[in-house]
Amino acid sequence: MNDEKPYRKLETQALLQQIAFRHGMEAMAASEEGTLAWVSSGFPVEIPVAMNVFPTYPEQAGAIIGATKIGPEVCGFAEDLGYSQELCSYARASIGSTDRPDDVAMGALPKPQALLGCNNICGTILKWYDANSEQTGAPVFLLDTPPLEAEQKPHHRAYVKQGLERLIEFLAKTFNTTLEEDRFREVSDLSSRAIKLWTQSLKACQNKPSPLNCADRFLTMAPVVSSRGVEHCTEFYEVLLAEVEDRVKQGIGAIREEKIRLLWDNIPPWFILRFFNQLAAQGVVFPADTYTHAWSGAVEGTDTDSLLDGIADIYSNVYLNKNLDAKVDKMCQLIKDFDLDGFVMFSVRSCKRYSLGQLVSKEIVTERTGVPGVVIEGDMVDSRLFNEAQIQTRVDALLEMFV
Amino acid sequence: MSYPEVIEQSNQVLKALVDAGERVLGYIYPHPPHEIIIAHGLKPSLVRTNPSVVGAYEASLQTFSCSLTRNLFSQRVNNSFPQLAGIVFSGNTCDALQNVGDVWRKRFPKDNVFRLTYPVGDLGASSVDFLAMEIKAFSDELASLYGEEFSESSFREAIMLLDEIRNALQLLYCVRILHPSLISYNTLSSLVGEFLTAPTQEAADRIKMTWNEVLERIENMGQRNKVGQLRDSLLNHDLSDFETVIDTSGPRIAVIGGMIEPNTVAGLLENVHGISDTTLVLDMLSFGFKTVFTPPVGIEDDPYEESARSILGAHSEPTQEGLPKRITFLKDVLTRLSIHGLIVCEQSFCDPDEFESPSLERAAKEVGVPTVKLPLDSELSDRARIEGRIQTFLETIDDN
Repeated sequence: MNDEKPYRKLETQALLQQIAFRHGMEAMAASEEGTLAWVSSGFPVEIPVAMNVFPTYPEQAGAIIGATKIGPEVCGFAEDLGYSQELCSYARASIGSTDRPDDVAMGALPKPQALLGCNNICGTILKWYDANSEQTGAPVFLLDTPPLEAEQKPHHRAYVKQGLERLIEFLAKTFNTTLEEDRFREVSDLSSRAIKLWTQSLKACQNKPSPLNCADRFLTMAPVVSSRGVEHCTEFYEVLLAEVEDRVKQGIGAIREEKIRLLWDNIPPWFILRFFNQLAAQGVVFPADTYTHAWSGAVEGTDTDSLLDGIADIYSNVYLNKNLDAKVDKMCQLIKDFDLDGFVMFSVRSCKRYSLGQLVSKEIVTERTGVPGVVIEGDMVDSRLFNEAQIQTRVDALLEMFV
Repeated sequence: MSYPEVIEQSNQVLKALVDAGERVLGYIYPHPPHEIIIAHGLKPSLVRTNPSVVGAYEASLQTFSCSLTRNLFSQRVNNSFPQLAGIVFSGNTCDALQNVGDVWRKRFPKDNVFRLTYPVGDLGASSVDFLAMEIKAFSDELASLYGEEFSESSFREAIMLLDEIRNALQLLYCVRILHPSLISYNTLSSLVGEFLTAPTQEAADRIKMTWNEVLERIENMGQRNKVGQLRDSLLNHDLSDFETVIDTSGPRIAVIGGMIEPNTVAGLLENVHGISDTTLVLDMLSFGFKTVFTPPVGIEDDPYEESARSILGAHSEPTQEGLPKRITFLKDVLTRLSIHGLIVCEQSFCDPDEFESPSLERAAKEVGVPTVKLPLDSELSDRARIEGRIQTFLETIDDN
């Protein structure tokens, strides 16, 4: 049956399910032991992991809630508490599932002992975790990484580094733990190895046909978000890279007949990942996207001080913490490196940090690369804000340009 | 004064300044380093939304950009902005202002667009150091662009001017809380509006004159010390030592929210049937209370550090760390200042406002104060319904 589909399923997905199950079980155990922290996706997780604090991710839980198509219902729980429907649907899903965990089949997280947020992905994180804190009683720690206009200035880096030192104090006090240098180095090394393996898999998509499509990457990015810094995460990416390299060697693509190569910009609509598979039937593959390329910075250093310097640098320089010029540069570079024919910008109503500016950057990217693009609007979790027919019309209009 | 009249008056003041050869620097976030800007020979002025602007943002911004940024952008596209020498966008305060600043630079490359990045974290000295460096960089940029170096003497004069203005406004705010019949909210909000339009000596003189008129009556009532005590408590963000106000002469309402001007609120209340002039006793808005209750800039240390310390000494914004402290302070305000009802303003598509409002409502309910939430946009497009909600809310309080 599988052979009849326009896309090829990754063998590694079975291992992914095992890792997800393991992560969930470990999170529950950590909660019971009093060592669980909810963590934002751009948080320097190497530090809590090295201090034996187990991280789990509300954003990933939001993606699961979206993928299981209960987003509107769970977001509605938060709206019942007074949170506007105009707010981030990851946040609403998190607040809603925390309020009514028994009414959420998948995606409600075990009770945390701390909430660790870093605003390098958006300003919403602080507000969202403040709300979660009121619900759970867990204290919030914010690592403030002010957005960069260009290169990171010395006082920016110093400020972020002071925040990291404050984080170590916070974790020590909250969890009665310490940061040992050897362990910190070991965790950072594991994290870097996982990220390097992941980056190699992404780079392999420069090949034609591309061995991975958007949906493949959105699913297989989970461990690098949730478990970087632990052994089994690195092992997973070794297996994934082996499968990707094997596909490249054999000339096997993620879709059966690759005709059009596009760039995807922004978080995906988790509730309709089949969107990518439907396009696969038209020969459309997405060898690159700005979202999964966000996890590309490896932490390096020889001692605690230099590791903290590395973290202050890497975690300040993430894609979403940079200005419009840097985002445009990144898109143009991906289009060039992956030899792409066009791009699709998903304007996510939930995510102002990612989406505001797309209308302008679309024009600039086309001007600089010569390839066309389209902006479609919707949401990543809340399917009430997604008009499939309208989106299909816009994407079809883009595809007609390649005929 | 209606809000359109405020805008008209503000534009006239700005035009007069420009005609007199002054350079006006617009700002959006309510905590600019006023004194540093003046020390470079510029006049800081709040860039205001205009309810009557025709939407013209669609080619550059999505509809889910906050109503404030959409309104300002539309004004700029329509060339209906006052003549500004430049505009200051805040960095690291909210995602909309962060990104719209970038979009503005692309769409209007000839505009002088500045970015002043604020710390979100409450890291004490580290936050002050960070902001001081950002203000220094901003100051260098002003010097480079306008050719006017930072002037120590102008800086000291600006400190004195801002002290005069803030001091008088703080006292007037306290009079309004303690004895609302002595100064109307309309008058208070108009004076705050003048300060925001341009902190000039003329504005300071008018504000002081109003204070002197009120002072005489306060002294006759033997309440001068009480007003001073309240001012100190509000400046210290701590009402725990302040003797509770007991005033049962009528319903006492407070209003809280983000980037909404006191004048806007005053304008909304004007049309509400049956509302008394003494009902709204306090706003805790970013452009009102929080801008006014900013501690003075010191003169002992480095000017940039002193300026940063002053800005970070103001009541924190929803964009900053410190929700638990804000909630504690709100509860103290509601109980110790005998507030009977709280209006929570929530600007359309404003993440900080919309995230914080449920917490504010819960806090008020915990101390037995009823609330009403007002979803607002800069165009007040739902004005009749909003006024209806306020009226119903007030009637409910009256019944209790």
